[in-house]
Amino acid sequence: MYDQIISRRTPGCIVFLLDRSDSMKQQWGGSSMTLAQGAAAALNKILLDLCIWSTKEVGGAVRHYFDIGIFGYGACPIAQTEGVESAFSGPLAGQSLVPLSVLADNPVAVREAPSVDIGAGHARIPVWVEPVHGYRTPMCQAIATAGAHVFDWAGQHPASFPPIVINITDGMVTDSPHDGATLDEWAKRLTTIETNDGAALLLNIFLSPSPCHGVLYPVSPVGLPEPGPELFSISSPLPQKMINNANAAGVPAQPGARALGFNADLAMLLRFLEIGTRPTEILDR
Amino acid sequence: MKPRSVVFLAPKQGNSEQEWEDCAAGSPGVPGRGGNPRYIVADGATEAYDSLRWVNQLASSFIGVDAPELTPESLRRWFAQMQELWNTEAPARASYIEERKFAQGSFATFLGCELVDLAGRRPAWRAAALGDTVLFHVRGGRLVAHFPALRAQDFGLNPDGVHTSPDRLDHMVGKLRFASGEIAAGDLLFLATDAFAQWMIRFIEADGLKLWQVLSRLDHPLSFERMINTQRDAGKMKDDDVTLLRVHLVTDNPAFIVTCLP
Repeated sequence: MYDQIISRRTPGCIVFLLDRSDSMKQQWGGSSMTLAQGAAAALNKILLDLCIWSTKEVGGAVRHYFDIGIFGYGACPIAQTEGVESAFSGPLAGQSLVPLSVLADNPVAVREAPSVDIGAGHARIPVWVEPVHGYRTPMCQAIATAGAHVFDWAGQHPASFPPIVINITDGMVTDSPHDGATLDEWAKRLTTIETNDGAALLLNIFLSPSPCHGVLYPVSPVGLPEPGPELFSISSPLPQKMINNANAAGVPAQPGARALGFNADLAMLLRFLEIGTRPTEILDR
Repeated sequence: MKPRSVVFLAPKQGNSEQEWEDCAAGSPGVPGRGGNPRYIVADGATEAYDSLRWVNQLASSFIGVDAPELTPESLRRWFAQMQELWNTEAPARASYIEERKFAQGSFATFLGCELVDLAGRRPAWRAAALGDTVLFHVRGGRLVAHFPALRAQDFGLNPDGVHTSPDRLDHMVGKLRFASGEIAAGDLLFLATDAFAQWMIRFIEADGLKLWQVLSRLDHPLSFERMINTQRDAGKMKDDDVTLLRVHLVTDNPAFIVTCLP
C-alpha cells in the first residue's frame, strides 16, 4: 500500500481545501500577511514547486504527473455567497480537477513578489489562488465536495497512488452535521475511497494567528487544545514514505503519526505542504 | 587477458529507448589513461533537469582523452570541469518554470571503473562510486565483492551523485567511495543501476549461483527485456530505467557474434 510511483501513466491527485472564512483575515503573527494571504502564498509556492518538479526536458512542457483541485470554503467570490467552490480563477475558473500541465500554463498572473522561501528575495511567482475571506467555516461541505471529485478520480485511476486531500484551516467547523453526517463521518467517507494502492489520505493543518507550541505529526491528541482532538481524529495516519520524507527533511515523525499540523506558522505550513505533496517517488513517464 | 563488454538496457515500462535516462559507456583502451579499459554507468536522477545531457557528458568524458584518474583530487577537478561545461553549454530556457528548474540543476549517480595491469602480474579493477550504481565482481559462479556494498534496503534513500551545482563539489568529493579487486581470466564484472542492482542483491540471497548463470549467458537485448518485464510484472523489480554493463575477462576470441537487426 502507498507504494505506487507517480508517473504520466499513473498520475497522482492532490486536492487542497482552503479555508476562506472571515477569521482568515487575521494578521499572521511574525509575518506581514493575513492568514488568507499567507495560505494563498504558500499554496501558490507549492503549486509552482510541483510544476518545477514535473519539468524535465529542455523546452519541454510540465508533465501531467498530477491532477490538482483547489476548493475554497467559506466565502465564495464567484457565487458571492457562503459555501464551497473551486478556488481557481482566470482561465481555470470553476474547474474542479486540472492536470498539472494545464495548471502550469494558466496562472491568473505572474508577479514579482517576495518569495515565501525563508531567506529568499523577490522572485517571479505565478498566482493561481488569491486570498479571500468571509463568512463561516463549512468544512463538512468542503470535505464532501472533495470526496465527490476524488471518488470519480479514483474510479478512473485505479492503479494510481490514492488521492491526497489537504485541508488548510484556522477555525472550528460550523456546518457539522451537514446533510445528516458529522465532520468525522464525512472524513470517514472520504478516506474510504480507494485505489488499488490504498485509501485516500486526509491531511489537516490548523493555522494560528499567534503561533506558539506548533505541533507537527502528533501520535496522540492528548494535550492538543480545541479543535486539535477533532482534527487529529479525522487526519490519516502518515504512510511510511511520508514519514521517511518528513524525517529526511528534519521533521521528526514516528510510526503512528497523524497527518496533522496544529498551531502552524507560515514555515510549518510550507513544510507540511512540501511533505504532503511528495508522497512517493516520481518516475519519469 | 582482455575484456569483452556488452550493455543491456531497458527504459521504464511504456517508455521508448530515447527516454532511457541512464548512460553506460566503455572503452577497451582509454588513450589518456595508459590504454587501460574503462567503463562508466551513470543514472540520471528522475526529478532532475536535462538528465540526458548530463549523463551523456559524464560518460563520454570519462572514457575520453581527458579522462580523470580515479583519485579524489583528479575526480574533483573533473567534476568541476563537467559542471562548468554543463552550465556553459545549456540551451536557452523557454519559461520561468524551466529557468527555475535549470537553477536547481541536474544530478546523476556515478560508477566509474578501470581495469589495470591486464597483461601484468596483478590485473585488477579499480572503481570510484557516488551513489547507488553498483559493481559486482563474480568468479566461478560466486560473488567476490560488490561495490558500494549496499544492502537491498539501502536503495532509494536519496542516493549521492554528481550534481551540476559547483556548491555541491565539496560534498560530492566527500561522499566518493573507492575500491579495487584483483581479477583473473573468466571473471565477470557487472555494473548495474539501482533498480537492477537492488534486484540482484535480493536474488543473490535466494540463489546467487542461478543469478550469475542467467546473467553470464544473456546474449540478446530481447532476452534481457523479457527478463526485466517478467520481474517487473511480478513486482520484484522497481519500474525504473535499467542498465546492466557486463565485462567478461577472457583469453579467447568470441565463439559467435550476435547481430541485432532493427
